[in-house]
Amino acid sequence: MAIEPVTPTRAAYDPAADTEFPPPDLGRTVHVVGTVVNVDPEDTPHPKVRRGEVGKALFNYLRNTVAVDPLGRTNSTRARDNRNYFTAVLRQTATGAINPTRTRIDDPAAMSRHIKRAGRYFGADSVGIGRAHPALLYGGGAMNDHGDTGGGDAATGSPDELCRRYPYVIVTPVAWDYGMAQAHRHHIGDAAYDTTLMQTVLVLTAMERYIKELGYTAIRGKVNPQAAALAGGVGELGRNGLIISEKFGARIHLNDAILTDLPLAPDKPIDLGVEDFCKICRKCAETCPTNSITFEDKQVFNGVEKYKIKWETCYKLRPLVADHWNVCLTCATVCPYTKPNVWWRTLAVRTLTATPTAARPGVVRALKWIDDRFWGKFATKRVRWLGYDSGIKPGVKACTVAGCTAQHGDPRGAQRSAGDTRQLIQLESTNIGYYAPLKENVNRFTKRS
Amino acid sequence: MRLHEPADPYWDAFINRPPADLNNLITHAFDSMPRGDVHPVRGEVHSPNVMANHIKELGRFFGADRVGIVELAANPFGNAEPAFAVVCALRSEYDTRHALGIGGQAPALKALFVTFNLCAVIKEMGYRATSSSADRDRFAALAGVGRQGPDCHIAEIVCTDLPLTANLRDGGGAIASELQHRSGEPAEGNRGRGS
Repeated sequence: MAIEPVTPTRAAYDPAADTEFPPPDLGRTVHVVGTVVNVDPEDTPHPKVRRGEVGKALFNYLRNTVAVDPLGRTNSTRARDNRNYFTAVLRQTATGAINPTRTRIDDPAAMSRHIKRAGRYFGADSVGIGRAHPALLYGGGAMNDHGDTGGGDAATGSPDELCRRYPYVIVTPVAWDYGMAQAHRHHIGDAAYDTTLMQTVLVLTAMERYIKELGYTAIRGKVNPQAAALAGGVGELGRNGLIISEKFGARIHLNDAILTDLPLAPDKPIDLGVEDFCKICRKCAETCPTNSITFEDKQVFNGVEKYKIKWETCYKLRPLVADHWNVCLTCATVCPYTKPNVWWRTLAVRTLTATPTAARPGVVRALKWIDDRFWGKFATKRVRWLGYDSGIKPGVKACTVAGCTAQHGDPRGAQRSAGDTRQLIQLESTNIGYYAPLKENVNRFTKRS
Repeated sequence: MRLHEPADPYWDAFINRPPADLNNLITHAFDSMPRGDVHPVRGEVHSPNVMANHIKELGRFFGADRVGIVELAANPFGNAEPAFAVVCALRSEYDTRHALGIGGQAPALKALFVTFNLCAVIKEMGYRATSSSADRDRFAALAGVGRQGPDCHIAEIVCTDLPLTANLRDGGGAIASELQHRSGEPAEGNRGRGS
């Protein structure tokens, strides 16, 4: 007799049946329009890659690759010795218990202001507080700080139950440096991105333990951080699949969200005009080296209407470039919202948001024209930081550090002295190879949709 | 920017109330954690003066506000190579010696991030590095980065044999003896806490 395998029923949110929780307000860019099956953390990218379901190259990349760059060995999962990786060590530390003496909270709004202030004091660049919703939660286990499973908190219960017990979510993003982000696809951009990730985890951990000290529960790894950021008014979801924030654009790290029963007053989603901008712009889709970003309109996926990116092709680039850089970040860097947090950027965003929705396309086209005119299609700024130089082709041996008299094992270096640095830069100028690999090269191994 | 506002009824406890469970204080929980070892292959480095500038810039990148370097007369690693102390100072709003709350210890937490990562990067470059809290005030004064107080937090001193240049030279005896006391022998980059 054949025995049919029993498939466990996955938790799901059905807006028609689940009357206790009306569809969540996630702003203009994302709408819950149907049944949302809570994503099992095991079905998210990192665990799939780790299990080898996305190919051998990625499997090896995530499990067996050690970064060639010393900084890369200290701030990412490509560490040689995990004890030199701050996040890995932080994860191993003992966690304190919840304080049995609860802090009395008479005014949730005052506590919300306090939590935001505390988050910024720990180093967050903004703090968002949203209302928890079953559609925002993962089903099953929890994610850890590396975007993998096997960590997080062991809170049990269905998403509905968890949202009843812990009605608020907190996100504490940290922004990475704008200048360094211009040297993305390079060790410099990697350093900015990966170090910010470590800082984000540090802030989240500090916040989690502070909430426990207040006598309340703080659960990590249970909530989709992007959805929490939308609910908490941190930003809007762009075509590039990234949260675009008010002050920093797409150059923020979310990592995780805290689910808590601390009495708070949640924020509302914000309108930055991302919905209107992304309809017209498509800059990220044009420049994505793996064509992982759609040129088309939003689609409904798992009951959620949004721009859907193809994460598999995005990931597949990584092992091919692992010797030169780690994370691409083209979509984050070219986004017109990603600019220094200065007055003219604020003015542009406020102009757009103050414009009636019907008239926004005209403003968007004007802003897009200005962006293309002044910043171009690609980031082309040459960045020098520490001994790194984004103007040097990955893999090319050249030192352009002013004042460096070291030999570096380079025969040409023997002729160098502190005085002829300028000459050296000119000598190497034929090797200027910023922005490699170019999209045309990558098109050889990825299919355009 | 001073984030404290009189209207915040929870701020004082955030800054001053010691945690009920010390493990909720990350700096405390981190104390017992082992540190990584030194990369077996030494990487190419720029000249000592350039490397000193890079280490200072790296310290600021990780969150320090001021970074200074002092040459140690006695090598804490027990060999003949020149050794240096990298001293990092962070702006603070409360004196971490007296503000014992989780918020009050935030500058110490940020300083931990700086020293841990400085040590880690140096070790991944193939040089030894270890952090020590001994003689912080004296080294901070020597390096000219400020002094521990309500507006300044001095991070643990990073001792390394990475070739650097420093304007000042010091005995470093206290650091060497503390490291020897911890490990029972001359400190190595891959032994004991902070190594």
